Amino acid sequence: MKPITRLILAAGGALLSLGMVLQPVAAAPAGPPIKIGSTLALTGPLAATAMIHKLTGEIYVEELNKRGGLLGRPVEWIVKDDQSKPDVARTLYEQLITVDHVDLLLGPYATGNILSAMGVAQKYHKMLVHHTLGIPSLAKYDMQFPAWSVGPDPATTVTNHLLDAFASVGKSPKTIAIVTSKFPSVYVMSEGMREVAKKRGLKEVLFLEWEFGNKDFGPIASRLKDANPDFVFVGALGLEGNQLLDAMKKIDYAPPLQYYMYPAPGPLAKAPGAEHALAGSIFEQHPPFTNNPTAAAFVKIYNERAAKAGLPDNAVETQAAASYSAWQIIEAAVTATKSLDDKVLSQWLKTHRVDTIQGSLRFDGPNNFGDDLMRLKQVQNGHWVTVWPKEWAAPGAKLLVP
Amino acid sequence: MRLSLPGGIAVAGLALAAVPFLGLPPFYESFLYLIFSAVVMATSWNILSGYSGYFSFGHGAFFGAGMYTTATLAGRFELPFLWTLPAAGLISALLGVGVGAVVFRLRRLRGELFALLTLAVTFVLATIVLNTPIDGGQGVSLSAVPLPAILSSPSSTLYILGLGMALLTLWISYRIYGSKLGTGLFAIHDDEDVAEVMGVPTFRYKLMAFGLSSGLAGIAGGIHAMFISYVTVGETFSIIVPLNVVLMSVLGGTRHWLGPAVGATVITGLLYGFTAGDYPVAGRAAVGLILIVVILFMPEGLLGRFIPRLQRRRRVTAVTAVTAVPPATVAAPAPAETLLKISGLAKAFNGLQALDGADVEVRRGEILGLVGPNGSGKSTLINLVSGHYRSDSGNIVFAGRDITGLAAHAVARAGIARTYQIPRPFAHFTVLQNVTLPAMFGRAALDRVAAESEALYWLEFTGLGDKADALPEDLNLHQRKFLELARALAAKPSLLLLDEVLSGLTPSEIEHAISTIRAIRDRGATIVFVEHVMHAVMELSDRIVVLNYGKVIAEGRPDDVMRRPEVVTVYLGKPHA
Amino acid sequence: MNFPSWTLLGQSLLSGIFIGSLYGLLGLGLSLSWGMLRQINLAHFALAFLGAYLTFQLTTVVGMDPLATLVVILPCFFAFGVLMQWLLSRFAISPFNSLLVTFGLTVIIESSIQWIWTADFRNLESSYGDMKFKIGTLYLPLPELLTLLISIALSLSTWALLRYTDLGRAMRAAAEDGQIASAFGVNQRMLALLLSGMAAAFAGVAGLCLALSYTLSPSQIYAWIGVVFAAVMIGGLGNPLGPLVAGIVIGVAEAMTMALISPAWAPLVSFSLLILVLLTRADTI
Repeated sequence: MKPITRLILAAGGALLSLGMVLQPVAAAPAGPPIKIGSTLALTGPLAATAMIHKLTGEIYVEELNKRGGLLGRPVEWIVKDDQSKPDVARTLYEQLITVDHVDLLLGPYATGNILSAMGVAQKYHKMLVHHTLGIPSLAKYDMQFPAWSVGPDPATTVTNHLLDAFASVGKSPKTIAIVTSKFPSVYVMSEGMREVAKKRGLKEVLFLEWEFGNKDFGPIASRLKDANPDFVFVGALGLEGNQLLDAMKKIDYAPPLQYYMYPAPGPLAKAPGAEHALAGSIFEQHPPFTNNPTAAAFVKIYNERAAKAGLPDNAVETQAAASYSAWQIIEAAVTATKSLDDKVLSQWLKTHRVDTIQGSLRFDGPNNFGDDLMRLKQVQNGHWVTVWPKEWAAPGAKLLVP
Repeated sequence: MRLSLPGGIAVAGLALAAVPFLGLPPFYESFLYLIFSAVVMATSWNILSGYSGYFSFGHGAFFGAGMYTTATLAGRFELPFLWTLPAAGLISALLGVGVGAVVFRLRRLRGELFALLTLAVTFVLATIVLNTPIDGGQGVSLSAVPLPAILSSPSSTLYILGLGMALLTLWISYRIYGSKLGTGLFAIHDDEDVAEVMGVPTFRYKLMAFGLSSGLAGIAGGIHAMFISYVTVGETFSIIVPLNVVLMSVLGGTRHWLGPAVGATVITGLLYGFTAGDYPVAGRAAVGLILIVVILFMPEGLLGRFIPRLQRRRRVTAVTAVTAVPPATVAAPAPAETLLKISGLAKAFNGLQALDGADVEVRRGEILGLVGPNGSGKSTLINLVSGHYRSDSGNIVFAGRDITGLAAHAVARAGIARTYQIPRPFAHFTVLQNVTLPAMFGRAALDRVAAESEALYWLEFTGLGDKADALPEDLNLHQRKFLELARALAAKPSLLLLDEVLSGLTPSEIEHAISTIRAIRDRGATIVFVEHVMHAVMELSDRIVVLNYGKVIAEGRPDDVMRRPEVVTVYLGKPHA
Repeated sequence: MNFPSWTLLGQSLLSGIFIGSLYGLLGLGLSLSWGMLRQINLAHFALAFLGAYLTFQLTTVVGMDPLATLVVILPCFFAFGVLMQWLLSRFAISPFNSLLVTFGLTVIIESSIQWIWTADFRNLESSYGDMKFKIGTLYLPLPELLTLLISIALSLSTWALLRYTDLGRAMRAAAEDGQIASAFGVNQRMLALLLSGMAAAFAGVAGLCLALSYTLSPSQIYAWIGVVFAAVMIGGLGNPLGPLVAGIVIGVAEAMTMALISPAWAPLVSFSLLILVLLTRADTI
């Protein structure tokens, strides 16, 4: 799309949403707006997923205001660009709290920036709802709430569930190779996989680590081919998953089972050789997830907006779902307590469950993490489908092991 | 009352220290901290790279070393945060000095080679940190480290530390700017070989600057680790860190002590300014555009235009002292005493024997003409005596002291000064500053005020008095030759080596030069001069030494030597029919 | 650990050669403008990525063959290079200031890419992607093979151009001593414009190769700077064969480290190599 077209669209969108706010709907929100502040990495190396969060937030706020806002007041979302830098994120949160006087906080994404924001929230005793924090053990603050429900120890639970899934179809691997980027959030998971594999008696035939930003995946692919494991666990962040997959494809190697920790889901599914590749997810846009009318409505509008924004991949999955859930958590707590007091809200969240599009969340575990809701998805015919656990599997879909 | 610039900075610093007590939203502390941190980084970088011209792309390494020192000591070993800061500074300074001790020994590792080498050090360090328990791949969290309350509250601590570091760094940078170290560094920037030959201990100075520069960056890193509270390799050792530092400094102006701080403030503010807008991507592009425009139209940086004015003001005070200076002379010579004895001196370049066991003796008070065809080893001899090259064999004894293999600056201190055939003034120094430097660093070793007076004296002597404030590029060749001469004289040497001071001058200029050289000798200096202008050689020299293929082939009184057939043959080509 | 198989070693060697040739290709234009125009053109990387995105666009949207996109990209990039040189020479920019100006340009190009194509990953799916040759147990994928061949061809022809043609000799003379060259009737300004245009066009070719083998994202621009600088430096500034040879040396050294030790230590090998070369090599620059 041409920049000028985009400008016109943006202006049009702004006018449109203004119109919606002014529209006399059933319970038009009134009074001073409730300000919710957050930062996103709109520029810089982490920018790839920023648009997902931005679109999701915009959609949510729009819908929320149509429903009558929060506590009868309109909601205003203040979002700033942290440039993918933790120090800028920290300063922006200080600004949101002490200058913009936002009522509520929403976290950024990516572990480093979330931790920076968390430090500020702690300093001002503000509640922080955040998405996609990869290392729960680092979340020491008692008024932070994860919208990405991976449980307090995903390095153990996610990896165990994975092996359970294989066992459920009677295809438990005997040997495992773990290859991983030394990027903190994926590295922690790979270490966890290593422990779990050892405990469950898998033979580790290869363990390789590379520096984040590695470009040559040929030798890694060759070593995997040489080691010939039953199962390859890939701790890759974003692009790296595709790069490794490409490299394996180029030497005609496809492991019987391969799991990607945090891939770029769209590009990975489309990559040649990705058929039957596995990954974790909390949401995919198919039933039973979309049986939830809220989820279905969100998927529909998100798909449209993402296409309009020129994103190559328009599907709702983990990132968008976690982002949406974060808003749902805030709305649920505020609506239930009729309060904007961070302590009241936090107290309520710790003792209540919140229904979100990824499922029912609780926050009463260690570091306020609840259940591990990571499901297993697989590329089948070029599309991601959830295959395990069975109650979340797409209709008729099951884990395929070639 | 006029407030000086450093005074103004100090007052502003005090005012800023009151910010935590004003009840302003703490955001301002946080934002100002970002600026302070950038100021420390850019200013500390400038102490080495701006002043001496050794552009480092490794500032991220020292910043990172500081971050990981604090992260390790405070995060893992639970040492009090404040105690980790000196350690962070020390580790980084040691790293800088270590790198410098290797790199600065190699003369050719300047410019982009130095930049790239320091960048490579950054990546090597990153790989080591990532693959050892220092980080291990999981990052280091500092969220559990308690922050002490220095002033009003713990939250102001980082602000105060940042402010303190910014002021300290600016103060250090300012003091160096006006000090002997600073003058030496600026000379290194313009022409390192000449600086060394004029007595600047270049290796030690560069090492000091590198240590200070990296140490300050290390402390800033230690504080910053606490500010972001979670340290990862990818973030810390990114190429963006040094790029930003270079950017800020050059934008502000690297030849001014305050330049980098101005650049840091502008860039940090600018980048931050686009965080809230609806078009952060367009904002980023705008920053790029601003950068291009500023560099194109202000190549010396935002403060570039202020540099000459400051230099001029400084000098006014010194002029008055000139009359009080006695002419620079050495004690009356005892005739025929040997001042310099060169024996068996040899030097080869890539197998080419430039000097092949030459023996030369220079007596105190004489003018010795050194002649020979091109490539006969005259310039090599001068370069060896002045310490620019190291000889392969043979030795040099000066005033009873063996100076063979001594570093050039030590040779200069011992009392030998030289000129260059093609004048090599420090391009960014005024004429006066060019002459002041050898007076400070040479045998005379005067303090700045005395050195300036001395310099003014020699400028008058060589007829450049009215050009004191000019830059070398404004001089014609004749004036530059005399600037060379004035520089050599200002060091008050006991031995003066003149390398073709007359070449390229007009006949009347040559006559003027000859009388000047005589006047110098009359003041007691001993002179060795390499020359092609034969009538000057004959006129001036007490004795002549003739070199050919790196060997001395004749030595003696001018009229006698030049008549010898072997000299006529090799030196003048074929004897005239 | 078992001794690695010959297939692993051979395949890793190939992998190192292939990526090394891309380092070389990216480094070629950089080395020319650095060595002969005294410009450290950081924007070279951004240009290469712009070329890659254009290849992506022309291939997937217009439906051109990836190689055919060069017909469009080369003239545009050549013109861009000429324009940039005109601007830089008009302001008589110093080497380090050229670094900063081209960094500004990099930021602008990066932002434009993000604006047009978003920060999300883009992957060119071309008919070349799947093709490969097999020799014994070793695989030679077509995109990588193309990169290697293009890199060799460009480096060699540039070398021959500089060495054996009047134009090339004039360029070298102008680079060595502009004033003397001018005195002999060499039009230095024209040559500089030509050279800069060539370097930019090379960036376009490198972009094509990037698009064929790599998934693209705007921030990847910065990922290549360090190692390509290393290749350019080790290869010797202004030497058209240097970046390719040095690039392959680095690529193979890294690949072997990955194959035999651990991929995580690979950067240490390439940058230690650079440090070593800088510290020990005689004055070639």
